[in-house]
Amino acid sequence: MKPGFQARSARASVLTILAIATLPALAAQTSSAPAPAADGSVAKVRHLIGLDNVKSQASGKLSVQSGALVFDTGKAQTKIPVASIDDIYLGTESTQSGGTAGRVVKTAAIAAPFETGKVLSLLMLTKVDVLTIQYRDPNGGLHGAILATPKGMAAGVRTQLIAAGAHASQLPEPPQKEGK
Amino acid sequence: MAIRHRGFIRAIACGCIALLPAIAPAATKPPKLHATAIQIEAIDAGDVSIPAEFRLAIYERLIEKIRTDGEFQKIFRSGDKDAKGAPDLVVLRTTVSRFKQGNQLQRELTTVTGGTTVDVTTTVTAPDGKVVLTNDLSGKVRFFGENLGVTNDMAKRIAKMVFASYGTGTPH
Repeated sequence: MKPGFQARSARASVLTILAIATLPALAAQTSSAPAPAADGSVAKVRHLIGLDNVKSQASGKLSVQSGALVFDTGKAQTKIPVASIDDIYLGTESTQSGGTAGRVVKTAAIAAPFETGKVLSLLMLTKVDVLTIQYRDPNGGLHGAILATPKGMAAGVRTQLIAAGAHASQLPEPPQKEGK
Repeated sequence: MAIRHRGFIRAIACGCIALLPAIAPAATKPPKLHATAIQIEAIDAGDVSIPAEFRLAIYERLIEKIRTDGEFQKIFRSGDKDAKGAPDLVVLRTTVSRFKQGNQLQRELTTVTGGTTVDVTTTVTAPDGKVVLTNDLSGKVRFFGENLGVTNDMAKRIAKMVFASYGTGTPH
């Protein structure tokens, strides 16, 4: 075996071991899925797109209060009046856990020999609920706010919004794998 | 005789090569269109089963990208009442023709399967109702990233098509 190959292989193995060693810490970051608070608010909600004045991927608390859906990141707060909501959709998505650290570890693991780094994909994917709010601004312009909530939390927010007076059509059947 | 013939062919070939730079820009660059305002309509799913988050994410990202590119002074959302007053408003419509939701885990493990794909037909309509631009585009997420990443790719491609026809300079 060539010495260069051995060195590369050893380096990649070290990277894999490091990546796997950090897994418990990453898992601890993500496995603590928050339960809804007493006031019905949901923490650790990730903003994907659609809310004004909030950056994509910003994390915050989602709640329904005073006739509005409120997303609070700590630095900024955005409100969507319940009366302006046209529809509320629920979906699911698999996402990589561990945030930025998880992304770094996963990228490092690409160098692992014999594609063993792929085992991280198995361990680091978690399911999240996707809450989609379709609403209109005062001018009638259509908006779509998309938020990723911890699994099992989006339905509760939808129920709260409907109870507060938001319009929502019946939930559609689960999407098919392929549509044509 | 053969030598003279060969020289003639060589002269024609040289002439053609010399003309290429002059012909190429005319053939690749269609004339630019002009409009100061655009209204972006909601993504029409047609009879394709596509989750709402994908439709609305394409719509929102498209607005974001066209706003960033800066080729239009005014950008109106679907249903915006103020759009009626805009003098040379063009309307961008997007219809989904195919959607295939992949699987992120499968994608990352195999690298060749599990991709998410969305195909759309986009049209830009002038104020007189005439279709000035139409295109079939395809967005994909093949390797890393969430399925929703396909909406970013799709919006980028649509915005690029719009910029190619209306924009000047390079997109932001």
